[in-house]
Amino acid sequence: MSEVIIEVKNLSKSFGSLEVLHNISTTFQRGEVVSIIGPSGGGKSTFLRCLNLLETPTSGSIFFEGTNLCGKGVDINLHRQKIGMVFQQFNLFNNMNVMKNLTAGPVKIRKMSEAEAQERALALLEKVGLADRSDAFPYQLSGGQKQRIAIVRSFLMEPDVMLFDEPTSALDPEMIGEVLGVMKNLAETGMTMIVVTHEMRFAREVSSRTIFLDQGIIAEDKPSRELFDHPENERLISFLKKVL
Amino acid sequence: MEFIQTIGLLLQRYSSFFADGVRNTLVIAAFSVLLGTLFGVFMAIARMSKIKPRKIIATVYIEFIRGTPLMVQLMFIFYGLPMVGITFPDIAWIPNFSRFAAGIVAMSMNSCAYVAEIIRSGIQAVDKGQMEAARSIGFTYGESMKMVVLPQAVKNILPAFGNEFVTVIKESSIVSVIGIGDLMFRTNDVIAVTYRSLPALAIAALIYFAMTFVSSRLIAAAERKMHHE
Repeated sequence: MSEVIIEVKNLSKSFGSLEVLHNISTTFQRGEVVSIIGPSGGGKSTFLRCLNLLETPTSGSIFFEGTNLCGKGVDINLHRQKIGMVFQQFNLFNNMNVMKNLTAGPVKIRKMSEAEAQERALALLEKVGLADRSDAFPYQLSGGQKQRIAIVRSFLMEPDVMLFDEPTSALDPEMIGEVLGVMKNLAETGMTMIVVTHEMRFAREVSSRTIFLDQGIIAEDKPSRELFDHPENERLISFLKKVL
Repeated sequence: MEFIQTIGLLLQRYSSFFADGVRNTLVIAAFSVLLGTLFGVFMAIARMSKIKPRKIIATVYIEFIRGTPLMVQLMFIFYGLPMVGITFPDIAWIPNFSRFAAGIVAMSMNSCAYVAEIIRSGIQAVDKGQMEAARSIGFTYGESMKMVVLPQAVKNILPAFGNEFVTVIKESSIVSVIGIGDLMFRTNDVIAVTYRSLPALAIAALIYFAMTFVSSRLIAAAERKMHHE
């Protein structure tokens, strides 16, 4: 039934003498929405950034749709097209307006016609309630608007999986809802999502599975409700006490 | 009043000296900026290279040039190199070619180091997230650079680059020590003939200022245009 989309095998990552990830192994199924929670400095973001090789693992391998991304002769650019990523700091291209931000990838990489890319971009902008902002530049947008556009930009590449690196952490509280709303809709379409987040409500209610990453290892990994209702790991229990 | 009259008189009588000086200064400055920029781009690329030897050589070059006086570099090239048999040839139909060549080489080698640093810091000032976002979409390093990073870096680079251009115009006065007839050299000629150093130097200062002012205005206009785009 289920199909493995990403398999992580014995992943370790060190920055100098600091080991951030220690021998992590796990798998992600197609269509799964997985939240990764844990204290800061626990390695959540590093783990996520290893999945599309924005960080190069020190050892171990990452299989994406059967290909070992860390293998020799792998064209990472090709695979990254299928792995969308949404950043904490949005990272919209500051030198392009919204429409160009959205169509650059589809047109230049996917060789889609400019007209078709614009049409699709506009349809999605409509969906996230920003159809009137297509000519705006990033500096003219609020954080929440930027992040919704960043999600659309990533989605327009038709990725097989989308990675979210603390997508709401840089937002003002009143804007968090609009971004989570978009992510929730995305989850309902069946998109495979891996989300590093501090939004415990999102983890519990939207994601099917939650991973507690702490001190460089997966300390607990369960269906979300179970993890939140019956945490076993002691550090998870104290973490949940602090954040809930 | 008399001072201004003297200035007027000097300008009138020795205008050909000053004009010749300005022409030579502009030739030196233009070539130096042109060559300095050209090699500065390559030097910046080498400086940011992942290939260790390239990076080291570029870093050493930049640090060394920026850490030694232009005067020493110029003397080294014009007086020093011929001692070991490296000379600039004379070309019959360009008067004083070997001097000009030495001056331009020294100035552009110097400017190259500064331009390289301007470019490097301009590129590195662009938020790292911009590159990461482009890479995460699937663009190659080169595509990301060209499409996203460089257009933003240019906005950081241009103002500093304008300063460098102005600096080169001013610093070029140093080539007078190897006998190139630039504005400073010709001003000294006028002083030698008239013994009127103060008004002559005032004229030189004003001309230098006019040149730097015009170029910095031009660059500022270019900057404004970029920001509107």
